[in-house]
Amino acid sequence: MADDHQHRESGAPAPDSQGGRAAPGAQAPAAAGSPALELRGITKAFGALKANDGVDFTLRRGEIHALLGENGAGKSTLMNVVYGMLTPDAGEIRVGGEVVRVGSPRRAMDLGIGMVFQHFMLIPVMTVAENVVLGSEPRRGGLLDQRGAEQRVQELSDRFGLAVDPSAVVEDITVGQQQRVEILRALDRGAEVLVLDEPTAVLTAQETAELVGVLRRLRDQGTSIVFISHKLREVLDVADRVTVLRRGRTVGTVETAGADEASLARLMVGREVLLRVDKQPSEPREPLLEVEDLHVTDDRGLHAVRGLSLTVRGGEIVAVAGVDGNGQSELIDAVAGLRAPTSGTVRVAGRELTGADARTVRSAGVGHIAEDRQRRGLVLDFSLAENLALRDYRESARFGLLRPGRMLARAKRLLQEFDVRGGDPGTPARSLSGGNQQKLVIAREIGGNPEVLIAAQPTRGLDVGAIEFVHRRLVAERDAGRAILLVSLELEEVRALADRILVVFEGRVVGELPPSASEEEIGLLMTGSGPGTVQAA
Amino acid sequence: MSAAASTAGARGAVPRPALAGWAGIAVGVLAFLLALPPFTVRSPAPSFVLAVLAVGAGATALRGGERRLGIFAVVAGVGGAAGAYAATRSGVGNLETVVSWGALCAAMLRYATPLTFAALGGLVSERSGVVNIGLEGMMLMGAFFAALGADKTGSWLLGLLIGVLAGAALATVLAVFAVTLRADQIVTGMALNFVALGLTGYLYVDIYGEQGTPDDLPRVPDLTLHTDRLGFIGQALDQQNLLVWGSLLAVVVVWVLVFRTAGGLRLRSVGENPKAAETVGIDVLRTRYLAVIASGGLAALGGAFLSIGFVHSFTQNMTAGRGFIALAAVIFGRWRPFGALAATLLFGFASALAQRLPEFSPSAATLFQALPYVLTLIAVAGIIGRSRPPAADGVPYRREG
Amino acid sequence: MSVTAPPPEGPEDAGLDPAPGRGSTVATRLTTHVGVGGVVTPLLTTLLAFVVGGLVVLVTGHDPLSTYKAIFDGTGLNWLFPWTSGADRDTAAINLQQTLILTTPLILVGLAVAYAFRAGLFNIGGQGQYTVGAIIAVWVGSSFAGMPGALHIVLAVVLAALGGAAWAAIAGGLRATTGANEVITTIMLNYTALWIGVFLFGLGGPLQSDVQREVPVSNDIVQSAHLPVFWGDPELQGLHIGIFVALAAAVVFSVVLNRSTKGYEARAVGFNPDAARYGGISVGWTYVLVMGACGLFAGLAGAMDVLGWQFRVATNDVQVSQIGFLGIAVALLGRNTAIGTCLAALLFGALLQGTSVRNLDPSVFPPELAGNLTTIIQGLVVLIVSADVLVAWLVRVRLRRRADPDPPATSVAAT
Repeated sequence: MADDHQHRESGAPAPDSQGGRAAPGAQAPAAAGSPALELRGITKAFGALKANDGVDFTLRRGEIHALLGENGAGKSTLMNVVYGMLTPDAGEIRVGGEVVRVGSPRRAMDLGIGMVFQHFMLIPVMTVAENVVLGSEPRRGGLLDQRGAEQRVQELSDRFGLAVDPSAVVEDITVGQQQRVEILRALDRGAEVLVLDEPTAVLTAQETAELVGVLRRLRDQGTSIVFISHKLREVLDVADRVTVLRRGRTVGTVETAGADEASLARLMVGREVLLRVDKQPSEPREPLLEVEDLHVTDDRGLHAVRGLSLTVRGGEIVAVAGVDGNGQSELIDAVAGLRAPTSGTVRVAGRELTGADARTVRSAGVGHIAEDRQRRGLVLDFSLAENLALRDYRESARFGLLRPGRMLARAKRLLQEFDVRGGDPGTPARSLSGGNQQKLVIAREIGGNPEVLIAAQPTRGLDVGAIEFVHRRLVAERDAGRAILLVSLELEEVRALADRILVVFEGRVVGELPPSASEEEIGLLMTGSGPGTVQAA
Repeated sequence: MSAAASTAGARGAVPRPALAGWAGIAVGVLAFLLALPPFTVRSPAPSFVLAVLAVGAGATALRGGERRLGIFAVVAGVGGAAGAYAATRSGVGNLETVVSWGALCAAMLRYATPLTFAALGGLVSERSGVVNIGLEGMMLMGAFFAALGADKTGSWLLGLLIGVLAGAALATVLAVFAVTLRADQIVTGMALNFVALGLTGYLYVDIYGEQGTPDDLPRVPDLTLHTDRLGFIGQALDQQNLLVWGSLLAVVVVWVLVFRTAGGLRLRSVGENPKAAETVGIDVLRTRYLAVIASGGLAALGGAFLSIGFVHSFTQNMTAGRGFIALAAVIFGRWRPFGALAATLLFGFASALAQRLPEFSPSAATLFQALPYVLTLIAVAGIIGRSRPPAADGVPYRREG
Repeated sequence: MSVTAPPPEGPEDAGLDPAPGRGSTVATRLTTHVGVGGVVTPLLTTLLAFVVGGLVVLVTGHDPLSTYKAIFDGTGLNWLFPWTSGADRDTAAINLQQTLILTTPLILVGLAVAYAFRAGLFNIGGQGQYTVGAIIAVWVGSSFAGMPGALHIVLAVVLAALGGAAWAAIAGGLRATTGANEVITTIMLNYTALWIGVFLFGLGGPLQSDVQREVPVSNDIVQSAHLPVFWGDPELQGLHIGIFVALAAAVVFSVVLNRSTKGYEARAVGFNPDAARYGGISVGWTYVLVMGACGLFAGLAGAMDVLGWQFRVATNDVQVSQIGFLGIAVALLGRNTAIGTCLAALLFGALLQGTSVRNLDPSVFPPELAGNLTTIIQGLVVLIVSADVLVAWLVRVRLRRRADPDPPATSVAAT
């Protein structure tokens, strides 16, 4: 520790990184021979599940290499192995041609590997400078050299064109800036290999564009970059090469030059067609959900939803599309009675429910497939029957006592109807697979016979079979006359399911598009800068 | 508002509502002071006027959004008026016996010292993410083993050392359970309190029996400064135990270590986000072990002061809940050393006053003993709304894979 | 201070859950494992605690085996053996009555802790709630001298229970409205109740005895408000009917928790407050009700002791009582179930009785050490139980993995 801060007192990254970085574009001859990072046969199992099953991966020096795969394909696991957060069960890792055992993040840093996590590894209450130098702090006279730290971060920031205020407190800066702090930290440790896990998931379009610029600049200066994503377009846009993972195995590596979305998609999901849902044109009926000029604040008291209006009619699926963090969660919470709006109105089937609590909203006919089934949708330690009763345990009770017989009978019926497998009514929900847990949530919410159904990220983390089930079911419920509000970050899903698409940006609806609109059109609106932006009614 | 106000405050420009709040508190306190020696104004009227001003200032602060300060100012005003009224009703002689500022402050420091050591211990531990409910037991270990060690070795210094080691040993057990085994920190801490209570009681009875610890138990010496002519502060500091000064020094040392060194930054990062700390190469478990063990040593110092610095003997369960008051002081002081010191001084003052109040009413003096707990209750209930514990406080950490 | 811990996470949570632990408390982790390891683990825990306690006895130069034998004989549990006869049997009967008298409040305070655990709350406040119950019981019981006995008892018991409930509900209300952690607030309420008690019964205090002006003690309960004794001699502190109240409370505990809507809500909140809120349950109100129920049990315990055998409260009783902590030990060892709590309460009641000074033969083990030995053993039981949770958890994870060879391919962590 003592020596590793010494050579950083100057504020410069580790000298050993200069071989690759000193001469932009031109690679040092010795380095050209061996790849920056090589993985051979990496296997990592969690219990009986093999998250990685003999994965091979080669990162050349000075390239941006995308790691592409569906949710659950094993991308994060692989990179956690590389960064020493997880120990592989089998396989070898070579850095600069030599076999290494990583074992810990510290060792990974010493090997010149830096990682930017999807959920930032920052300390919100500390300053940018403190976060960057943490673990390799400049010291003076035994004390932490705060000014030295800020200077070091400022120099780094200037040098790589990553603008941050070193003395700002991390929780006060934007998500995009927080990501820069993470990148700066990796660079501060002299990272030659930089791994970014789903870096664009939380960014706005502008921030994404800036990030891409930064990454290209870093690459040109000699850094080798692994870019994890499940977004085809983005991968084609940013990366030089792509390695595709499917179900924990390497499917192939291709140059992005010459590849197109269709070919990558085929590799990624292993079949021709991505997502197509058979459905008839919708037959909208009377409005069941009406939201007018809604304003909602988030947990930190900031305005998340600012004057949003929308209407969902019976028999149609209206999708809300947008980059994560543009007020979607707060909108759902406000409609579902989990968060009181500051102003505006919410009406369900004509009945005003603004600011009503969750129980009132539910009994007024709103079903809610929660975004996060494990944290919110289910009580994992409750049995399936108990989980299915969460909506209406009071209705079936008598004298304040539950009636287990009824709960059991109802559970049996719903489990069968919604094809929930893996347990009987007495099984704890925790032991079900993700797909079956989601079916359980859907069974309960639809089983309550709601007029309005909110589906928030209903297929997140599910496999293809389960996705199909959920999609078919949602369409069936639409045809049964329910009003469905779909909130999804997946444009594909939005286009496949929706009858109308509302694009939200910074808490407002900035445009309405038909499902036939191209991803480009929707994407442009999502940035808030689309042409002919119209305020939807 | 809170973040903005606090940063503005930290940078020197105190916003107006905050100023009003502080002024209100000061005026409220002054209202009470007027009726006490050396002023001893015998009419409550001037105090009432000041109290009204204090409440007004508090209201201004409240309107300006300074909820915390505003409430404090209003409370200070009302309390000041009530206190001043009570003081003017009682005899001057009684007043002067009770409110002898020098003696009162000296007693305050003595009562605060064990709490300060233990609170610093609790602070270090919680800053690393381990809630140390076992402070009470660690103090007790320190108290007993310091007495035993001083008795057997004939040296107060060795006694102190043995006491600290005993506290650290108990803390090590907490670390093994709470950090390595990831057992519930609260349950473990409570259990250790009982083990310590039983163990020290058992050994005490077994070794000393009916007679108790010997009268010639080596004592931590007092420092005589000859400052007794320098007003009541001088009187308060004139003849204090070495450990009283030690506790004040410890506050500064802990502050420097936790907030001004690289190690302190790492400690706090482990308490805020252990996984993030691990990703930059910090050994989370080792950091927590060190913090918890240091915590035990500090708490034990507080206990040792009780037995060989203050009372000069050991009795069963002599800490009598001080570990919990220390825990309260950590929260009350918002997980900061000087904040904790302020809290322990406040609690110490309450004890010092309770010791002298029986002049008026013995039973009412008892109620004063409840003051630290009630204040803490009020504090955690949201008047300290801005106070945030370390984010990972109380959360066991486990590495993946 | 936050007292949350990561939920037992299988591989399937690891990636979907960016901040594991939100909404899942250690207490829920404790309750998750009810039933795992059955009765074996608690028994082993107890055994281990006695072994370590025995080591302390051995190291300090006494014989652990004969010490434990002497303690056992003092509990009166040998009354259950058919071969105990004659004078031994009479002594045993008296001892067993005392054991059960001590078991009564332990069951009730244990339930007070266990109910909170099931709702994800950690009630360290059993002590204060018990004290408030005792204060109210002694006040009501020593006043209204002319009232009919049965009515007087019911009044005292009900008011004591409600007082305990109100005291505990403060912590629940603070948790609900301000998020103040109940561990801290209940500790503070304990000491506040303690000093209120010392104030009330202390010299010159409002409830201090009218007869003994020099003793810090309350008035005596009027004779007609004593709980009836059904086994043994009322003059020699026979067994009062409080034990049935405690057993009935355990039945109520079980029914309410497992069969009522309020119990369902409490358990849902305990396992996952976010999901409970999403399901339409008012989490804050549930906290208040749960803590209120806990205080009800603990307040009842105070009333049973005061009306059953103590008949007065001295400031010293208030200060040295450790029943709140014992309640935690009882609930943990009893795994927060009704039956487990009753059995664990019997164990601790017996231990207290067996080590009480008058029961030990000084030639076997110094009686004045016995109380501290008990404290050590109790501490060790709780210490080992806290790790036992971990053991149970490990067992459970293994079982699950073995039982589920083809786990969720879909919701896997790894994205």
